[in-house]
Amino acid sequence: MANRAAFVRVVIDAPAVTCFYYPSRARRRAFPEPPELEESSRRFPSLLAVPFLLLSSLAADAADPPPLRWGGDKAGGAPFIYEEPGKGEVGFEVELARFLGEKLGRKPEFVQCDWDTIPDVLERGNIDVGLNGLEYRPEWEAKFPSTVPYFVYTLRLIVRDGNVAIRSWDDLRIPRNGKPRVGVLRGSFAERYMQDKFGDDVEVIATKEVDETFQLVEEGVRMDATVQDSPAAVYYVQGGRREKLKVVGPPVPAGYYVILTRPKDVELREQLNAVIKEALAIGKLEAIYRKYGLWDKDQERLAELHSQPWPPAGEAKKGLSLGDIADKIARAAWMTIKLACCSMPLAILIGMVVAVGRMYGPWPLRVILTAYVEVLRGTPLLLQMYVWFFLVPNLVRQLGGDDLAQWFSAAPFYVGVFGLAINYSAAEAENYRAGLQAIPRGQMEAALALGMSPLTAIRRVMLPQAIRIVIPPVTNDFIALFKDTSICSMILITELTGLYYQYKYDRDLVLELALTIALIYLLISYPLSLLAGYLERRLEGGREKK
Amino acid sequence: MIAVTELRKLRDNHPVLDGICLTVRRGEVAAVVGPSGGGKSTLIRCLNALETFHSGRIDVDGLTLNPESGGKTPKATLLALRRKVGMVFQQFNLFPHMTALENVMSGPRFALGQPRDKAAAIARPLLERVGLAHKADARPDQLSGGQQQRVAIARALAVNPAVMLFDEPTSALDAQMAADVMAVIVDLAKSGQTMVVVTHSAEFTKLAHTIHVLEGGRLVSSGPPA
Repeated sequence: MANRAAFVRVVIDAPAVTCFYYPSRARRRAFPEPPELEESSRRFPSLLAVPFLLLSSLAADAADPPPLRWGGDKAGGAPFIYEEPGKGEVGFEVELARFLGEKLGRKPEFVQCDWDTIPDVLERGNIDVGLNGLEYRPEWEAKFPSTVPYFVYTLRLIVRDGNVAIRSWDDLRIPRNGKPRVGVLRGSFAERYMQDKFGDDVEVIATKEVDETFQLVEEGVRMDATVQDSPAAVYYVQGGRREKLKVVGPPVPAGYYVILTRPKDVELREQLNAVIKEALAIGKLEAIYRKYGLWDKDQERLAELHSQPWPPAGEAKKGLSLGDIADKIARAAWMTIKLACCSMPLAILIGMVVAVGRMYGPWPLRVILTAYVEVLRGTPLLLQMYVWFFLVPNLVRQLGGDDLAQWFSAAPFYVGVFGLAINYSAAEAENYRAGLQAIPRGQMEAALALGMSPLTAIRRVMLPQAIRIVIPPVTNDFIALFKDTSICSMILITELTGLYYQYKYDRDLVLELALTIALIYLLISYPLSLLAGYLERRLEGGREKK
Repeated sequence: MIAVTELRKLRDNHPVLDGICLTVRRGEVAAVVGPSGGGKSTLIRCLNALETFHSGRIDVDGLTLNPESGGKTPKATLLALRRKVGMVFQQFNLFPHMTALENVMSGPRFALGQPRDKAAAIARPLLERVGLAHKADARPDQLSGGQQQRVAIARALAVNPAVMLFDEPTSALDAQMAADVMAVIVDLAKSGQTMVVVTHSAEFTKLAHTIHVLEGGRLVSSGPPA
C-alpha cells in the first residue's frame, strides 16, 4: 500500500513528471538522434509516451480528493491502534483519524510504519501525517510542524504485582545490588525522561514494543519496571488487561500528543487544527476517549491549549552534539566488539563439532545435524533472536514454571552472544565440512594405519588441516557476523545500531551519528577484509606448491 | 604371523580378490607382484583393515578380521591390529602441518599416548636411520618426494610394528629417489623385519623370501625367487 502511495505521489508532483517526459540536454548529446526525428521526438518521444500514458491514467484516479494517509504503528498496540478480528484496525487514534477524514472530505488510509521511523516516512512523503502517540517536541517544529494537541498524557511507573522493592518513583533511587532495570519505549519521551532524571540510578532499557516490555516486567527477571505513557498504562494495567502488573506512584506530567505534518502543508495543518478543536468542543474527543477509559482530568487542559496560539512560544531546546554522547558511542562500539568476539569462537567451536558429526558420525546423528544446519541457515537471524529472547523463556514458563524459566531468561548480552553463535555455527559447520572434504583421503588412512583411534585422527590430523584451509572463509564470516551484531539492538542491547535508534529522534544529530556509526563499522571490518584477502592468497599459494 | 584364508572382495559385483590364501612367517620378506589392476594394493590394504572384504578371514599375530558377512570387527581389535601393522603408502601421506620429526613422533604420541620427550627419543634415531636427521625441522612441502617417503617409513617404524606393509613405495618417485628409498627398505629387510611389499623393483624381488604373483584377483603363483 505504501508503495502505491509513493507511486501516486510522483504523478501529482509536476516536476517529477516533467523530468520523465523531456529528455535532458546532456542525455540527448550522449545519444544523438537522427535529425529527421529530432523535432517530433523532442516533443513526444514515442518510447517515453508509454509511461506517460500510464502515469496520466493513474493521475486521473487521483483527481478524487486524495486519501488522508496517516502513519502509525500497530505494534504500539492498544488503545492507540490495534487490530480486532473482523473489525480491522481499531483504537482511539483510528477513530480520531476517521473523524478527521470525514471532516476533511478525504478517506483516511492507515499506513503501517515502525513507530520510531514515522517522522522519516513523513519526510519521504509516503504518508501525509504522523498520528500515533507522537509527542510535542519544540525541537521538531521546524522539520515536522505539529497540530494543536489532541491528548494530554502523563508517565506512569508500572511494576510487577507483588514487587515490594519499587513502590514509588523514589524507590528507583534506592541503591541496592544492581540498578533497577526500567524498560521504556525506544525514542519516547519516557526514555529521555528516565535518562535525564534517573540515569544514574537505574538501567534504562530501550524496547521496541509496549507488549514485549509488559511481558518482560511480568517475568520479573530481566526487567524490574517500565515507564509508559498514560494511555497504555490505563488501558492495560488499570483496565485489568495485564493482571500481573500494577501502577505505582503518582502520574508524572509529560506532554501532549500532536499530529505531525510536513512544513509545506500549511493548509492541511490549519484544517486539522480546526477539526481537532471542533472535536473537543462538540465532545467528540471525550466520547472517543471515554470508550477506551482514557478521559481524565488532564484532558480538561486541552480547551485552554486550544485557545492559545500553537505552537507555544518559547526557546527550542538545543539538540545534542556528537561530543555529548562520545562516551556512549565508545561504549556501544565496545559492546559491538564484545558481541562479535565472544560469539565467533563459540560459533567456530560448535560448527567444528557439527561438521565432524556430519562427516564421521552414525547416520541418526548425521540426520539430526543436517536438520540443525539447514534450519539455522534457512531462517532469518532476526527471527531466531526473537525466539531465543522472548519465545523460549515464555515456552519454558508454560511448560516448566517460573523457576525453570529463570534459567532461560539470561541477560540480553548472553542471549545475543548465544543467538549469534548458534546462527553462525551453521555457516561454520559448512565451512569445516568443506575443509574436511578438501583433505586428501590418504591423510585419514595414514593416521588410522598408525593406530590412532578415529577421534584422535580427526583431532590431530584432520581438524588442524581443515582449520588452515577454512581460515579465509571463516574470516569473511567474522566480518559478516560483526555487522550482524546490529540485530542485537532488537533484544535490548545497546550496541552501535541500538545507539543510533536511541538518538535518531534528535534530528540535528541523526545524520552525523549515522555516518559516525557507519564509519566505525567500516574501520573495523575493512582491515579484517584485507586480512581475509591476504590469508586467502597466502594459503592458496601454499596449497598449490604441494 | 599373517594368515589369509579364502579372501574374497567384490567391487560392483566383480571380484577384485578371488579366494586368496597365503601366509607370511615371522621374519619373512614377501613381495607381491603382478600387472596393475591385479588386486595387489587391495590385498595389502585389507591386511590392516583400510578395506573391508566380503568373505574369508585374515589373522595377524593372533588377531582376527571378520568379513562383512561376519559382523563388525570390534574397534579394539582394529586398533590393536593397526598398531602391529605399519604401512607405507605410494603417495607418502605425510601430515603437512607437522615437521618431519613431528610426523615420526605422531604414532608414539597419538596412537600410543607417549609423552612428547619420549616420542622424540624414539623418533630421532629413526630419522637418522633413514638418513634425514638434518631435516628434522623441515615441513613435508620442503622435502623431495624421496625424502618424504623415507620420513614416512620412519613414521611407520616409530610404533615398532610387527609387520611392515609397503604399497608401491617407489612408484611415485624418479629413479635416483627410488634408489634411495629402496636402499632403506632393503636395509630393513636385512635386519629381519617382517614385511609385505607391493613392488615392481627387480632388485627387491631378488631379495625377497617369497614372491606372490597376483593376476585378475587370483594368486597365480607363490614361491621363492627364481
